[in-house]
Amino acid sequence: MSKTSNLLSKLIVPCTLMTFVILVLLPSLYLLSYVFLRWDEVWYEVFANPIIGDEKWRQIIGILLFSFKLSLSAVAFDLIFGIPLAYILARKKFPGKGLLEDLVTLPLVIPTSGFGFATLITWTTTAGIGGLLGLPSGIVSLNTPVPIINVPFVLFIVHVALTFPYVVRTVETKIESIDITYEIASRTLGASSLSTFRNILLPLSLPGIFSGAVLAFARSLGETGATMIVSGVSTTASVAIVRWASEFKIPTAAFMGGLLVLIAWIIILPVEAFIGKGRIRRRIRGTPYIPANLMRKLIEFERFASRRLFFIKDIVPLAIVVVVIIIPIAVVLSSVIIYWSADPYTGRIEGGILYQLFGPPNYFNSLTKATLTSIIVALISTYIAMCISIPLSFIIERRWYGRILRTTLKVPMIIPSSSLGLSVMLLWGPSGLNLIDSGIWMIILTHIVFSVPVIVESIIAAYEGSGIEMYEESARTLGADAYNAIETVSLPLIKGGIITGSILSFTRSLGETGATFIVMGRDITIPVLVVNMVEGLAVPAALFTSTYLLALSLIMLAIIRVVTKR
Amino acid sequence: MANVRLINVTKRFGRILALDRINLSVMDGEYLCILGPTGAGKTTLLRIIAGLLEPDEGEVYIDGKRVNSVPPEKRSAVYMFQNFALFPHMTVWQNVSFGPVVKEWSPERIRNVTSEILEMVRLGERRDAYPHELSGGMQQRVALARAIAAGAKILLLDEPFGALDARLRVNLRTQLRSLVKEQGLTAIHVTHDQEEALMVADRIVILREGRIEQIGSPQEIYTNPKSIFVMSFVGGANFFDGVISHIDRLGSTVDLRGGLRIRAHSITGRVGDRVVIAIRRENVHLRKSRMRGFNNLIGEITDVMFVGGSIEYVVRLENGMSIMSRVLLEGKGRVLKRGDVVIVSFHPRDCHVFPYPERGLLKEIEAI
Repeated sequence: MSKTSNLLSKLIVPCTLMTFVILVLLPSLYLLSYVFLRWDEVWYEVFANPIIGDEKWRQIIGILLFSFKLSLSAVAFDLIFGIPLAYILARKKFPGKGLLEDLVTLPLVIPTSGFGFATLITWTTTAGIGGLLGLPSGIVSLNTPVPIINVPFVLFIVHVALTFPYVVRTVETKIESIDITYEIASRTLGASSLSTFRNILLPLSLPGIFSGAVLAFARSLGETGATMIVSGVSTTASVAIVRWASEFKIPTAAFMGGLLVLIAWIIILPVEAFIGKGRIRRRIRGTPYIPANLMRKLIEFERFASRRLFFIKDIVPLAIVVVVIIIPIAVVLSSVIIYWSADPYTGRIEGGILYQLFGPPNYFNSLTKATLTSIIVALISTYIAMCISIPLSFIIERRWYGRILRTTLKVPMIIPSSSLGLSVMLLWGPSGLNLIDSGIWMIILTHIVFSVPVIVESIIAAYEGSGIEMYEESARTLGADAYNAIETVSLPLIKGGIITGSILSFTRSLGETGATFIVMGRDITIPVLVVNMVEGLAVPAALFTSTYLLALSLIMLAIIRVVTKR
Repeated sequence: MANVRLINVTKRFGRILALDRINLSVMDGEYLCILGPTGAGKTTLLRIIAGLLEPDEGEVYIDGKRVNSVPPEKRSAVYMFQNFALFPHMTVWQNVSFGPVVKEWSPERIRNVTSEILEMVRLGERRDAYPHELSGGMQQRVALARAIAAGAKILLLDEPFGALDARLRVNLRTQLRSLVKEQGLTAIHVTHDQEEALMVADRIVILREGRIEQIGSPQEIYTNPKSIFVMSFVGGANFFDGVISHIDRLGSTVDLRGGLRIRAHSITGRVGDRVVIAIRRENVHLRKSRMRGFNNLIGEITDVMFVGGSIEYVVRLENGMSIMSRVLLEGKGRVLKRGDVVIVSFHPRDCHVFPYPERGLLKEIEAI
């Protein structure tokens, strides 16, 4: 027995690492090498097209700038309102706190195309708020810009809703880990609650704020499903990749995708290095110089604001949660009822959900097929990802190169999913190694890439702070060999993390749109179906499918809740 | 049943020398305490014996067999962590039967052994409880039962009472010691609490900065400390810096600053050497009138502190130095007050003389 486990332990590390490199790392890096290897094609199509010259390059620059503007403004908005909300969730106790937490987390598990559609009808049609207020049309049109930043309003709030949880949850976790006694000390030393926040909590939670912002930014940059539905005339980088890929302008799409991968690396690496070595905090130590009288004014203002304006901090973030998350979902749910048998305005049954599902359009058939595909994909990719993630998490925690591995794992998390899909297709597909064709298997391969980091992060969260090493060492001295110890002690202790991670990965797979669009071939998944329905103007069917997706993810969320409670 | 021998064991963590050529043997059935301040290398030593760490140099023998490359599960040495590390997802029964189960004994034997041992530690009724439902004392008994069931011959205890409150700690100490002795186990117990070590140990090893400073029975360590550090760490004392002015057959005379002169029986060094004189607090007596003999100093009481059954006085001597005296409270004994002038006396036999340490006196006696 000891011999076999010795052999196993010698094999398992290289095997895990190899699978990781082949299934996760390679696809997330391949795009760069593709662009590099086929540079002449890229050059020809992007910079020196005989007909349009470098028009594509100018397009790319324009799209990138627009994407950045959108993502940066969404993140800025998240930070301004997300940090106070994170503070409330971390420090205050109030009835309904659990519900609020769930609501904030919802966009993490919600299929984005369904959510995008919900937001769309809420703001731009009479079925939404406009109708409630008795207006003849929606409150805003699809392309109404937000002042100053000049980004379409609907697009902006979709991105805010989808990135909000990254900031709130990361900062909340960070604040929870900060000992409350520092704040109490500061208050008893005479600082108002706002001054305390600025001087104590803000500097201490800066690493959390930073990583939350990076995740949010990356998410916004890579968002495809909802963006395709609400973008209207504007195009973001990840949507552009999907469009070009479907028009077979592969070199252009690859070039854009490669740029995004590069950008992801450039953002993640310095941040990781800074946070890892605690340099951010050291930087802060040299506090910026503020003139004394200005400082006094600031402190006075903080004292005033702490007393009088405190409710703003409580009310505004709540209002944002209601507006960007709750209302769209409510609107979709109510619309399903309204549209059930017929279009409420024209009265025609062709505009009803029943007709579109079971009538001549027969969307029910494609829906069942898509459900089957989606669930098979989610199950298989989650299972394979789990098999890689468990040993990988142990390697990350226990080997000296673990930190490097963990940083590498951040890359698939922040690469725009459409780049990832393109990368997988080019690597495994007919134009690359030609191992498999687009279709369900390629979807599975793609979903594994982003599932592994999700599960690993969950496992690591459960692992750290549970004192596993101590329990395992105890088990060893009690007579268990290395394998027995892991099996009987460590795995049961991190079970919660494994289950949570798997459910997150399952829902993520269920809702993924950007990458799936590129690699799916003819096997359509549910979120893709929603996009197709919207583009085919089958609004009632889209309504029903969105609700169906939302319900699926709500069930998942409830399961996570039960599992993590224990 | 089991003895442990370490020969020249050395361990480095990067540039830090955690253990420097440790030589130590632990006898069968002995209760050994390793005592030292934080960072002395106590835990490292314990983990090396357990097999959780490998020494960089040197050899570890258990029962005369070299075990350097033997994995922890084959050493019969059970490691008990500060909070006992009872597996939180297993019941008392599952915890105690853990060793037999992973060793794949027959179900019947597992059942018999486990229930027998649970009865022995009086936990038969709580067999289905989870660790977090038990009191600290019960948890300790479960941990011990688990170790015994796993066939432990050596018990490695890493600050076993660290997480508990002071009162409980004192009770559990004696309970643990008697259980260990009953079972005939060899115990190696790491602690930074000198009181704990003095109370439970058959022998104490004083560890400092990776080196063994002294090994001896609790009484030896207390009455005959080999260094300023040991004296300060175990029990504490008054320390004075001085110069030897005279040596004769009966001892030496040390001059302190301000013209004070102390007579000691021990002889260390030569005339003119800088030395440190150390006197335990309980050996410093306070009287109203001068006594015959040496070491009668005049002082004024500057502080009075109650320490349970005794009183500690701080007395300022003529040369401005302070000396502490601990006096047992007896009956309705008279308590001196602040400002009282007293004669401070101590027997030359109780004055320890040490050479002046290279790194300065403070470095040796700094609060640890």
